[in-house]
Amino acid sequence: MPPSQLKRLKASLREQGITGPQKSKKEKKNNRKGDNADQRAKKHAALASIRESFNPFEFKHLARPKKFEVTTNRPQNGKVVLGRPGVSKSQGEELRRKTLLPELHKKNKIGGILDRRIGENDPTMTLDDKMMARFTREQEKKKGVSVFDLEEAEDEFELTHGGQAVQFEAEDDDVKDDYDAASLAGSSDEEAGMLRRKRRRDSDAEGEDDAEGGEDKPERKKSKAEVMKEVIAKSKLHKYERQQAKEDDDELREELDKDLPNVLAALRGHIMKPPPPPPTAAAASTGAPKSNDFSMNADRAALLAGNKTREQADKEYDVRVRQMLQDQRAKPTERTKTEEEKAKEEAKRLKELEEKRLRRMKGEEESESEEDLKEDNDEDEDEEESEADDAKEFGLPSVHQGTRPEGVEDEDDFLMDDDLIATDSEADMSDEEEEDDSEDDALDMDDDDEFLKDVRPESSKPKDTKLDVDGATPGKLAYTYPCPQDPHELVEVLKDVEYSDYPVVIVRIRTIYHPGLASGNKEKLGNFACALVDHISYMASHKAPLAVVEQVIRHIHSLSRTYPVEIATRFRHQLKLLLASNDPTAGDLAILTAIGTIYPTSDHFHQVVTPAITLMARWLGLSTPQGAKDIATGAYLGALCIKYQAISKRYIPELVRYTNLALKSAYTTTDLLKEHTKNLLSMADLWASKSAFYEIFAPSIPILAANNKCKSAHQRLSILLNNATLHRRPLELHHHRPLPIKSNIPKFEENFDPNKHYDPDKDRAEANRLRKEFKREKKGAMRELRKDAHFIAREQLKEKKERDRRYEEKYRRLVAEIQGEEGREKNAYEREKEKRERAKGRS
Amino acid sequence: MSGFETAAVAGHKRKRAVTKSDRKSTKTKTRRKSASPEELDHQAEILQLEAQIVESRRHYNNIATLLQKATGQGEKNEILAAVALCRVFSRLMSAGDMTKSKGMPESEVVIVQWLKDRYKEYVTLLLEEHFQSESGAKQSTALALLMRLVKQESGQKDFNWKRSHLRRVVEGLLTLPEGDSIRQEFAEKYLTKFDDVRYHTLESISSAMEYEYKEPTASLVKANGLTLLMALENAPASKDDLDNFFGERPTQSKSQLFSLQSHKARAQEAWLAVLRSGLSKEQRKTVLGAFTHQIAPWFQQVEMLMDFLTDSYNVGGATSLLALSGLYYLMSEKNLDYPSFFQKLYSLLDDTLLHSKHRSRFFRLLDTFMSSTHLPAALVASFIKRLARLALHGPPAGIVVVVPWIYNMFKRHPTCTFMIHREIRDPEIKKELEAEGMDDPFDMEEEDPMLTDAIESSLWEIETLQFHYHPNVATLAKIISEQFTKRSYNLEDFLDHSYNALLEAELDRDLKKPPVVEYEIPKRIFSADEGGTGPLGELLGKVIAMS
Repeated sequence: MPPSQLKRLKASLREQGITGPQKSKKEKKNNRKGDNADQRAKKHAALASIRESFNPFEFKHLARPKKFEVTTNRPQNGKVVLGRPGVSKSQGEELRRKTLLPELHKKNKIGGILDRRIGENDPTMTLDDKMMARFTREQEKKKGVSVFDLEEAEDEFELTHGGQAVQFEAEDDDVKDDYDAASLAGSSDEEAGMLRRKRRRDSDAEGEDDAEGGEDKPERKKSKAEVMKEVIAKSKLHKYERQQAKEDDDELREELDKDLPNVLAALRGHIMKPPPPPPTAAAASTGAPKSNDFSMNADRAALLAGNKTREQADKEYDVRVRQMLQDQRAKPTERTKTEEEKAKEEAKRLKELEEKRLRRMKGEEESESEEDLKEDNDEDEDEEESEADDAKEFGLPSVHQGTRPEGVEDEDDFLMDDDLIATDSEADMSDEEEEDDSEDDALDMDDDDEFLKDVRPESSKPKDTKLDVDGATPGKLAYTYPCPQDPHELVEVLKDVEYSDYPVVIVRIRTIYHPGLASGNKEKLGNFACALVDHISYMASHKAPLAVVEQVIRHIHSLSRTYPVEIATRFRHQLKLLLASNDPTAGDLAILTAIGTIYPTSDHFHQVVTPAITLMARWLGLSTPQGAKDIATGAYLGALCIKYQAISKRYIPELVRYTNLALKSAYTTTDLLKEHTKNLLSMADLWASKSAFYEIFAPSIPILAANNKCKSAHQRLSILLNNATLHRRPLELHHHRPLPIKSNIPKFEENFDPNKHYDPDKDRAEANRLRKEFKREKKGAMRELRKDAHFIAREQLKEKKERDRRYEEKYRRLVAEIQGEEGREKNAYEREKEKRERAKGRS
Repeated sequence: MSGFETAAVAGHKRKRAVTKSDRKSTKTKTRRKSASPEELDHQAEILQLEAQIVESRRHYNNIATLLQKATGQGEKNEILAAVALCRVFSRLMSAGDMTKSKGMPESEVVIVQWLKDRYKEYVTLLLEEHFQSESGAKQSTALALLMRLVKQESGQKDFNWKRSHLRRVVEGLLTLPEGDSIRQEFAEKYLTKFDDVRYHTLESISSAMEYEYKEPTASLVKANGLTLLMALENAPASKDDLDNFFGERPTQSKSQLFSLQSHKARAQEAWLAVLRSGLSKEQRKTVLGAFTHQIAPWFQQVEMLMDFLTDSYNVGGATSLLALSGLYYLMSEKNLDYPSFFQKLYSLLDDTLLHSKHRSRFFRLLDTFMSSTHLPAALVASFIKRLARLALHGPPAGIVVVVPWIYNMFKRHPTCTFMIHREIRDPEIKKELEAEGMDDPFDMEEEDPMLTDAIESSLWEIETLQFHYHPNVATLAKIISEQFTKRSYNLEDFLDHSYNALLEAELDRDLKKPPVVEYEIPKRIFSADEGGTGPLGELLGKVIAMS
């Protein structure tokens, strides 16, 4: 059995040396003499610890002691004190009494007096401190600036000495604190005040913080002050340096100004040009008074001298001003280039265009930012689709077209395009013109005009035999024509015109309705261009001379620089018609030829060329020669395909197929056979570098061998095939870096902390953290509120008890009073009665 | 059709009062007001005769008059008479006036016999004259009336489907000229709707097939039988589906009509009978095309069709392509073992394959057949190489199928990737290669896919297709030379493309941005520098001259 509480207390007291054998007087004296304060503090500490150790409710420990030895990276010894319920409770109570109780008392009461006196409630403040605080507050009120504004404060009210701040360190914070508290207390908004106080209370409630805070405070105060000091000193230094630099600059400038007249004189002496910009600028900056020194205008001097009348002078002045304005305008922007330079520039331009073409051929995106954007948009859309459809990735149309209305995707783009047409100048309409972005519209027009001139001599050449000059033609031709807006009108206009005069008429229409001449002309000419496109087909099918068709195509070409969209749409319309009919007439062939010359056929993808060549390939791939006409058409389409692929050398399987069929066909005449063999050989040349050359042309060999008329072609193809075998090598397509094998090793976290959440999803982790914090805060707030409520209830109960007690007291007092009076009265009565009885008895 | 409608209406109203039926017929009359007065007289007469028969037995002789009126009196009258007769006989039958019973007096028996004879005469008339006639209205009325009578008869006690005139109807249907719409009508209204009609029709078809017709009729019967059978689409899945009867519902629960097996047996018999009769190539293709989803479910023993399918498969060309799916069905469902299947499959890869309209169907199956990863690499390589060869000369739509398929194959059989990447390390071979170049080791003529040496070859064809004129095809072909990061391409997305789809997709789109225009305007297109026409112009001139 452990010893009793009393015995243990005695033992521990003795251990600590608080109680013990009686000390002699001498010893006591010694003690008192030495570090007795220290001793006393020690004694207090010891007593406190003893007191604590004897109160089992003073500390909060783990609910039950650790059962087994476990290894953990959490420092955890069983003796750890989790909290001091007694202390924190009393602290809370104290705080509430300080804050909540006055509020409670003030409840339902209006008015009152706020004590804003400085240091009135703080007995530790000395008189000087109070004075100082009052002084600062007054200054601040005068300035009306924020307390936290370093820059401003420094300027006026910092005492410095030799760039070093002079400051009274200690009081600074106290003052501010006091001011803070005062301003807080003074805030009229009750609720806000309450909230803020709660906050403070909360933070205060954390006991440990308090304990630490006590030690830290002086340290922090000092460091803050130091930092402030440094900042201030630094800015002072900078300011000083700036001033120094400015002064230096001023000096330098003055020196320069002194030299100015000399410089000006020198300038005037040699060059008659207007003064170069730097001196004027200098003059402007130095201002008017100085200008007097050196640049007095002769006229002005005359005027000043009074040689001229005022009016005259004004007039002259106006003239001069006008002259100057004109001067500016007439100033040449660039000097005329020499022939060589022009040629060089042209070569450069062509080279750039060629590079662009090459890039397009490889299917690389153009770098125009706008287009890129559009492209991106498209790709985004596509990507969404591609999840479902692999084919979409390669631009193959969705097979299930019924499910999705085709137009939807494009609608936005269409709107955008519309906008583009409406607002943008021509400069952006075609690539060529984008080149000349810097030049304005007028220049574009000039470009076209140049072409008009360019075309004219060409077109007049064939006529030269018949007609001398352009001027001679109009014997029959009118000078003005209405601008045809659709193919029918065009046919109507050209009805009475000789084929050979077509180019002249077109030139005239283009000149009369030049977009620069009237506002509606641009649109008119666009429609005219579309009509021309249709007319190519019309002319070809009406057996017009090809030279004229050629001229018209060239006109369309030049027009399509200005109207690329309109003309391309028209071409695509023609292609659509061919798609439906699948029977290429002479007109269609002419259209296809025109497409081949107007648009770059080497592009990887082109809105007009790609459908055109696909259409040709479709015909070549799906039809079998049914007569000489088919064979001829096939030969022409073959030649056209070869022309299309002259640069990019792309492979067209259908063409090989059709040519083979045509070579075998019974309808083939010698003439057409020649054409087809020619096509075959050009194909062989075109695709000579293809690795499957042998496989492509091997089937043609027996066909050629069977025909006596193509001996030479047979020979040539055989040689080419042998050559191809000689150059054939196994494919080596995959020189890629090998793909890394996917690693499944788990990712290890260095310094893993089980308390931390390693959520790879940052948003989620953040949300979780916030949720947790919120929960904790809520719980804390609820606990506080509950405690507040308890406190209030307790207080109220206390008050009520007090009230009751007072009432009781009063009641008792009253009763006693009455009883006393009653007693008195009774006594008086008794006395009176006795008196009377006595009197009666007496009587 | 109006005649048929009347008949139907009259049929429905049969059990109600006679007056009502009369009212109906008057209604019909009013509807035909446009008819000439003479015709109106005839119609009135017919109606009167009918009414008299109903009124009293004394007027039974009117039946004979009506029968006369039902032939050679003009279409409308004939139809009307036939409809009237149908009503009369239906009424008589339901009243029991046409059945002999035991204790009947002699005179009654005679009348019944006479009525029966007239009835037979009437049916024959319908079958042989109305049903065979050219007029669609008459035909369909006759069909409706006949079926109506079948229904009526089925209510009788001693009714037997086998002896009923349904059989004769079916025979009539079979012998009618090809392309007659009445068969379609029969199939739509009766055959596919009613289980019992189907059952007995199938029976009749198989027995009709056994009958030896003379030549023109024989092939007609064959073709028509096939059409009727092709009209059957969904086989009943379970017994519970068999509850839609045209005639009276059979009373015994064990009746064959309730048995799925016997239904299937009838169908199988009919099909076998038709198939046995020898089909033309086109018919065979139709059968093969519908095989897996339409025909096979009707069979109890699909194995019986094994020979038919293997024979079809051996025919070659499109027939083989079509037989493939049936064969696959048998192989996967019925465990059929087809020797040298892959060799046969390989032989199907010919020039026409990529142009064929059955291309997508074939590739779906091919993908299934080749989906095993346990196939020998040499075999897979042969397929890859051969298809690449075909793609080299194929249309874009074909290439677009072949390339992703090849990609998938490479993913499945990495050994085959030597076909796209083969580094020669042996210095001697290298030297030889430098000196002589190389032939393609692949033998296109070899029939056995194991022996073609395709795995020694390279896919130059696909590499060349990377320079295809169509940008999408070219881009697609590039997947072969890029790193194989995608697991596989979904072949289904690439199957159903065509020139038209490619073109329409592009041409129907609005221009998003202005197209690039060639910067240089050529001086000459058709003409030559030295004057006159250039090669293109000359050629175009020729074309124009020819058109």
